[in-house]
Amino acid sequence: MNQWLDERLHISRLNDKFLRKAFPVHHSFFLGEITLFSLIILILTGILLALAYEPSNSLVTNSFDPGTADKPNLIPAAYHSALKINAMPFGDMLRRIHHWTANIMVAAAVIHMMRIYFTGAFKKPREINWWIGMLLLIFTALTAVTGYVLPYDNYAYNTLKVIYGIAASVPWVGEWVAQAAFAGKFPGAGVIPRIYGYHIMLLPGILLALTGAHMLLMIKQKHTQPQYAKRIAYKKIVGVPLSTQQTPIMLLLAVMFAAIIVLFSAFIPVHPIEFFGPPSTTPINNIKPDWYLLWVFGALAIIPSFEVHLFGGLIGAEFVGAIVLPTVFLLAMFAVPMLDRSKDNMYYAENPTNHPVRLAAGVAFMASLIVMSVAGYKPELISSGILNTANANTVLWIALFLVPALSYFGVMGIVRGIRSLREADERERGAFSPADD
Amino acid sequence: MTRYKRQDPEITRRKFINAAMGGTVAVGGISLLSTLGTANPVFRLTRDKMPPLKGDILVHAEESKEGQPIKVSDLSDQLVRAWPMGKGEDGSNVIRKGDPNNILALYRFPKGQLIAPTVLEATVDGEVVAYSDVCTHAGCSVSDSDQGDGMKCPCHSGQYDPKRGCIVTGGPPPRALAQLPIKVEGEGLVVADFFLAMPYPFIAEAEWETFKKEVEEQLA
Ligand code: HEM
Ligand code: FES
Repeated sequence: MNQWLDERLHISRLNDKFLRKAFPVHHSFFLGEITLFSLIILILTGILLALAYEPSNSLVTNSFDPGTADKPNLIPAAYHSALKINAMPFGDMLRRIHHWTANIMVAAAVIHMMRIYFTGAFKKPREINWWIGMLLLIFTALTAVTGYVLPYDNYAYNTLKVIYGIAASVPWVGEWVAQAAFAGKFPGAGVIPRIYGYHIMLLPGILLALTGAHMLLMIKQKHTQPQYAKRIAYKKIVGVPLSTQQTPIMLLLAVMFAAIIVLFSAFIPVHPIEFFGPPSTTPINNIKPDWYLLWVFGALAIIPSFEVHLFGGLIGAEFVGAIVLPTVFLLAMFAVPMLDRSKDNMYYAENPTNHPVRLAAGVAFMASLIVMSVAGYKPELISSGILNTANANTVLWIALFLVPALSYFGVMGIVRGIRSLREADERERGAFSPADD
Repeated sequence: MTRYKRQDPEITRRKFINAAMGGTVAVGGISLLSTLGTANPVFRLTRDKMPPLKGDILVHAEESKEGQPIKVSDLSDQLVRAWPMGKGEDGSNVIRKGDPNNILALYRFPKGQLIAPTVLEATVDGEVVAYSDVCTHAGCSVSDSDQGDGMKCPCHSGQYDPKRGCIVTGGPPPRALAQLPIKVEGEGLVVADFFLAMPYPFIAEAEWETFKKEVEEQLA
C-alpha cells in the first residue's frame, strides 16, 4: 500500500519533509497543540450545530409555548432553533461543548503565547510566526464573539447592541461601518444571517488559513530547543519525530483533552438561553462579556465620560476605551519581536530568569490586564460594599498603575534572589556551567 | 548579449508590464471594493422606526402587558417601561419598537420632588415624567438602581437621577437621558412633542435636528 502510493505520489518525500519533523519533549510545548485540538473540536461540533441552527432573526411562533391565536408568542427564529437544539438528545451538550471549547481555545492560545514570550521564542528568525499567532488570537476572539451572538437570546441581543455601539463610536466613519458590518441600523433584519456568515464561513476560513501558515512556518523553522537539548547535542535538533513517536503522544493528549471538555460540559452549563429568554427591552443585570474581553469592558467602566468634537466627528469615552486602548495593547504585543535587537538566530529556549526585564515587563503587562478585568466587576464590588460609588473609580485607577508597578519590582527582586541563590550554589559546587545563552 | 543595442527605448518591457499590472490591480481592487457597498442595506424610515411623535399613545413595554395603554395610576417611583404607539400608513396602530432606542422610562413622583433641570412644563402636573430609557454611553437599557438611589445602567454602571432631569450622577455616560414631553388625554398618556434633547445614538445636535425634519417631511 505504501509502495503503491509512493510510486504514484512520491509520499516518501512528504514523509521526509514533514512527518519526520522532530518535536521537543516538554510539557510547555503542548499548549499550541491544545489550541489546535480546540479548533478541530470547534469545527466538528460547529458543523453539527449548523445542521440544526436556523440563521434568521425574523419572528416565528414559539412551538414550545405558542400563545393564543390572537396573541401568538413570537420569538426570533434563531432563538427558537437554539431552544430546539437544547431539546434534542445531547443537543444542549453539543452547545456546551462548543462554547466551553471556545473559551478553552482562547485560554490555551494565551498560555501558549506566554510560553513563547517568557522563553524568548519570538526572537529572530521566528518573528513572523509571533505576528501570525497574534492574528490567530485576535481572530479567535472575534469568532467566539460572533458565535456568542448566534443563539440570539436576551443576553446575546444586549451584547450585540453594545458591540454595534462600539463599532458606531469610531469617529466619522463609525455609523457607516457599523451598518455595513451588521446589516443595517441595529437590529437590522439581516443581522443574524450576516453574523452567521462571519461565524461559520469567513472567520473559520481565516483561522484555518492562518493556522496552516503557522504550522508550515513552524515546520520550516523548527521549534526552539529546550535547554536539555544543548547539553545532549549542541546545535543539533533533539526531539521525537512526528511519525511515529510524537503522534501517539498527540493522540493521547487530544483524547484526554476532549474527555476533559466533555466532563466540563456535562457538569457546568454555559449560556443558559432558556433563563435569559428572547430579546426584550428588559436589560440583563450585570451583563458581562466572556473573560478574555473583560479587560476592555472594565476599561469602559472606569474611563470617565468626555466628548471631543473634531471636524464633525465625535471622539468619546466609548471609542477610547473600546477601540483605542485595546489597539494600543495589541500593538504593544505585535511590537514585542522588534524590541529584540540581536542579529543571531535563536536556537534554545531561554531561562526566563536570565532576562529579568522581559519577565517583569510581561508580568506587569498581565497584571494591568487583570486589574482592568477586575474593574469589569465594578458593580459587584460596589454592591458587596468593598468599594462605594464615590471612590470606586479612584481606587481602580490607582490599582491600575500601582499593581503593575509593584509586580514589576516584585519580579525583579525575586529574580535577583533566585540568581544569587543559584550563583552561591555554583560556587559551592565549585563547578562552573556556562550561562544558557 | 544582443548585438544591436536599441536606441533609448521610450519604455522598457519591464516598466510597461509593471505599470500594466499596477493599473489592473488598482482598477480591479477599487471595483471590487465598491461591491462592499452591498453589505450596507438601504435604511427605510418606516413608521415603526420613527421616534416618539406628538400624539403617540404611551403603551406598556413589559411582555405580559405589551401594547396596553399606560394609565397614570399604573405609575409610581418605580420605573415603568413604555413604547410610543402611533398610526401606520393605513391608520392601524403601530408600536414604534422597530427602533429599540425608542424605549421610554416613566415615573410618577409625589408633587414637589421633580426639580430642575427637569422641564416641569413637559411633565404631567409636575408628577409624571418620561425619559428615553437608553443609556447615552453605549445604549443599554437603564433600570432602577438596586440601592434605591435613582437609575443605574447595567452595562458599565452609569447612574442617573430621574428627579433631576436624569442628569448623570455617576459612571461613564456623557449626558443626561433625554426628557420626552407628555400630557394626559383621557386616562392615558400622550406624547406632546419630540424629545427635548437629542437621544441616543445621536452625537451632534445638528444630526438630531435634520432627523426631526426628515421625519416631519415624510409625515407631511
Ligand atoms: C469552524 C466552524 C464553526 C462552525 C460551523 C460553528 C457554528 C456555530 C453555530 C451554528 C452556533 C450556534 C449554536 C447555538 O445554537 O448556540 C455557534 C455558536 C457558537 N460558536 Fe461556533 N462554529 C464554528 C467555529 C467556532 C469557533 C472557532 C469558535 C471560537 C473560537 C466558536 C465559538 C462559538 C460560540 C462561543 C458560540 C455560542 C454558543 C452558545 O452560546 O450556545 N465557533 N457556532
Ligand atoms: S452603556 Fe450605560 S454605562 Fe455604559
